[in-house]
Amino acid sequence: MSALAQLTPRRRTTDRVMRGVLGLGTFIALIPLVAVIYYLLSKGLGAWSWDFFTTDPTGNFLGDQGGVKSAILGTIEMVALASVIAIPFGWGVALYLVEYGRTGRFAAAVRFFVDVMTGVPSIVFGLFVYVTIVLAGWGGSSFAGWKGSVALALLMLPVVTRSAEVVLLLVPDGLREAALALGTPRWRVTMRVVLPTALPGLITGSLLAVARAAGETAPLLFTVAAVNGTSFNLGQRMNSLPVQIYTDVSSPSDALVQRAWGAALALVCLILLTTLVARLASRRSRLS
Amino acid sequence: MATGPRQHFSEELRRVEAQGLGGLDLVIGQLDRVLEALEHQDVELAAMVIGNDDLIDGRYLEVHQGLLSLFALQAPVAGDLRVVAAMLHVIKNIERMGDQCVNIAKTIPLTGHEPPVREEVLERILRMGRAARTEVAQSKTAFATRDVALAEDLVRQDRCINLLNREIFQLAIDVGTDPDTREWAMHMVMVARAIERIGDNAVDVGEQTAFVVTGLFREFSDSSHPQPLV
Amino acid sequence: MTDQDLKTMDEQRISRDATGASGTPLRSTAGAVNASGAPSRPVEHAAPGVSIGGLDAYYGAGHAIKDVSIEYAPNKVTAMIGPSGSGKSTVLRCINRMHEEIPGARATGKVMLDADDIYGAGVDVVAVRRAIGMVFQKPNPFPTMSIFDNVAAGLKLNGIKGVDLKERVEKSLRGASLWEEVKDRLSQPGIGLSGGQQQRLCIARTIAVEPQVILMDEPCSALDPIATLKIEELIDDLKRRFTIIIVTHNMQQAARVADTTAFFLAGELIEHAPTDQVFTNPGDDRTEQYVTGKFG
Repeated sequence: MSALAQLTPRRRTTDRVMRGVLGLGTFIALIPLVAVIYYLLSKGLGAWSWDFFTTDPTGNFLGDQGGVKSAILGTIEMVALASVIAIPFGWGVALYLVEYGRTGRFAAAVRFFVDVMTGVPSIVFGLFVYVTIVLAGWGGSSFAGWKGSVALALLMLPVVTRSAEVVLLLVPDGLREAALALGTPRWRVTMRVVLPTALPGLITGSLLAVARAAGETAPLLFTVAAVNGTSFNLGQRMNSLPVQIYTDVSSPSDALVQRAWGAALALVCLILLTTLVARLASRRSRLS
Repeated sequence: MATGPRQHFSEELRRVEAQGLGGLDLVIGQLDRVLEALEHQDVELAAMVIGNDDLIDGRYLEVHQGLLSLFALQAPVAGDLRVVAAMLHVIKNIERMGDQCVNIAKTIPLTGHEPPVREEVLERILRMGRAARTEVAQSKTAFATRDVALAEDLVRQDRCINLLNREIFQLAIDVGTDPDTREWAMHMVMVARAIERIGDNAVDVGEQTAFVVTGLFREFSDSSHPQPLV
Repeated sequence: MTDQDLKTMDEQRISRDATGASGTPLRSTAGAVNASGAPSRPVEHAAPGVSIGGLDAYYGAGHAIKDVSIEYAPNKVTAMIGPSGSGKSTVLRCINRMHEEIPGARATGKVMLDADDIYGAGVDVVAVRRAIGMVFQKPNPFPTMSIFDNVAAGLKLNGIKGVDLKERVEKSLRGASLWEEVKDRLSQPGIGLSGGQQQRLCIARTIAVEPQVILMDEPCSALDPIATLKIEELIDDLKRRFTIIIVTHNMQQAARVADTTAFFLAGELIEHAPTDQVFTNPGDDRTEQYVTGKFG
C-alpha cells in the first residue's frame, strides 16, 4: 500500500547488533584510559601535599625525601625554552612550504625530511644532542638545561611544522587573493591575513608538540641529567618531572614510588592546564 | 531531431513559426475562394469566406500567445529574437490580408444578382487576384527558407499589381453613365484596392524576411519615395 | 521607428562592416547611451581606459590566451563572455597581474592603463593592484576582521597614512550601497553578513583604496537573484567613477549591465561590440551560436 519500503525486522536487528558492537568497542577502548586516570588519581593524589609542591627532593633514601618542586619548575623552564625555539621555526618552515613552496623540488624535499623526522625516536634526538653539544662541552658545563631544551625542540619541530602546514593549507586561497588584489605585498599578506586567520589552529597544533615534549624522558637523560635542587639557570643541570619519575619509580622505597605517582599526576595536570590556557587565548584572538 | 542544448526551445520556435506561416496558407485559400465567388457571382461562397475569417483571427491569437511565451520563458536573443519579432509583424500582416479578403467578399452580395459586368474590368481584377495569390505564396516560401533574393523579388511582382490597379481605376472612370454599371465599377475599384493591399502586406512579409537574415530593417519600396529598389 | 533608432542601426551597420575578424575596437558612441538605450547618468570622476595589445598568457606549457587585443572604454562597463575555458578570466587576471601569482603561469604583451604599460620593466606590481582593484566570485571578507576593519583593510594592510579612516570607510560603504544596513554594527565580524552583503562589503573594500579600474570575476554567481540585481544596480552607479570590466557566465547579466560585450572562445577574442548589437545581431557566426545557446 505505501510506496516507502518498510523497515524489516532483519534490518532492525542488524542495526542493533552494529550499534552494540560499536558501543562495545568504544567501551573497550575507554577502559585503559579510565584505568590510567583512576590509577593516577588513586595512587598519585595521596602523594600530593603542601610539601610535595614546595620542597625539593632531598635525595635521601630514607627519612624525609622531600617534594618535587625542582622537577616541576625544571620541566616548565625547559619546555618553555624548547617551545620558544621550536614553534617559531616550525611555523616559519610551514609558512614557507605553504606560501612560497607549494610546488618546487626544494619544498618537496623539505616536506619529505620533516615527515621523516616525525618518526625518529626521541632517544635518537637525545643521543644526537649528547654527542654534538654535551660531549663537546659547549657553553661550559657538559649537561645543561638548555641542551635538554634543544633536544626537546628538535623533537617538537616536525610535529609543529606538520600541524601548522595542515592548518595553513586550510586558509582559503580566496583570502590570499583578496589581500593581494588590494595591492598588498606577499609577506604582508602572510603576516597580516594568513597568520591571524590560522592562529587558533596553529596554537592547537603546537600544543600537541608541547604536550609530547613535556613527557619525554630519554632526551633529557642524555642531555640534562638531573640535580635535586631547584635551578633557574638553564646553563646548569636541572631537574625535570619525567626524569624524577623515572628515578623514583625504580626505587625500592614505597614512599618514593608514591612520590613518582604524584609526580606523574602533576605532569598530566600541568599539560592539561597548558592546553586550557592556550585554548582560551586562541578563542579570544579569533574574535578580536 | 534537433541536438544540442535548447532542443526544446528550437522545436518550440520552429513549431510556432510553422503555425504562423500556416496563416499564409489560410489566406491563399481565402483568396482563391473569393476570386471564384467574384467570377461567378457566388453569394454563398462569399458568405463562407466571411465566416472563415474567424479561422485566421484564431490563428493570429494562437501564434501571438506562442510568441509571448517564447519571449517570457526562453529569452531569445540574436537570430532567434529576430525571428520571434518578425513573426509578430507577419501574423499582423496575415490578419490584415484576411480582413481584405472579407472586404472583397462583402462587395459581392451588394452588387446584386445580375450585375452589369464589364469584361475588361473583371478580367483585370482576376489577374490581379492571381498575381496577389502568387505573391503571398512566394512570401511564405521566402520567409520559411530565409531567401532574401526571393523576398526582394516580391517588389517586382507587386509593381504589376499596382499597374493593374491604376488601369482598373482608369477604366472605372470611363465606364459610362449607367448608374448600375457605375455602382458596380465603384465596387470593383474597392476590390482592386483590397487586392493591392494584400500585395503590400506580402511585400511586408518579404521585408521581415530580410530583417531576420540581415538584422537590418529596410523598406523595399516606400510610398513616400517612389523610386523602387533593385 | 524613430530617427534615433535608425541612426543607431546605421551606426551599427557601418561599424559591423568595419569590424575585422579579430574584433578590433569600434569607434565609441559619443553622447553616452547605455546598454538599454537610455541616456546614462553623468560621469563623476573620469577614469582611464585600459588597452590590451597582443596579450599571450600561459599556464606552464599551456597556451591559454592567444594574441588578444582589446580596448576597454573609460567609465564604461565591458562584459567578457564565453564558454568555460575560453580564457576570459585569464585575461581579467592579466589586467591586474594576478595571473602571475599562480605557480608556473606567465603573460607577455602590453596592457596599458592610460599611458603606462603595466607589464613594462620596473613596474611595481603592488602599485598596479592599487590602481586596478578586483572583486571575486566567492565573497571573501577577512574572517578575523570586523566590518570596519575589512573595509579599511586595503589602507591598513598597506600602511597608507594620512587618511581619515572613518570617513573613508563610510564613503566606501555608501558607495557600495551597504552603509544603511551596517552602520550600527561596524565592529561586528565581516563574515556575519549575508552572501549579498558580504559581496558588497568586498566591493566597499575594493573601492576604499580608490582604484581607477575595477575588475569583477563573476561577482554574482554565488548570490541569489535579488542580491544579484542589487549588485547590478550598483555596477551601473559605480561606472560613474570607475572603469569596470566584468567576466560573467550569465548572458542575461551581461545584457543588463554592460555597455559593450566581448566574446571569447578558446583563448581568442572573437567579437567586441555594443551589447545590444551582440544580442540582437552579432557579426560573427560563432557569437551567434553561443548567445543563442547552440553550444557552451
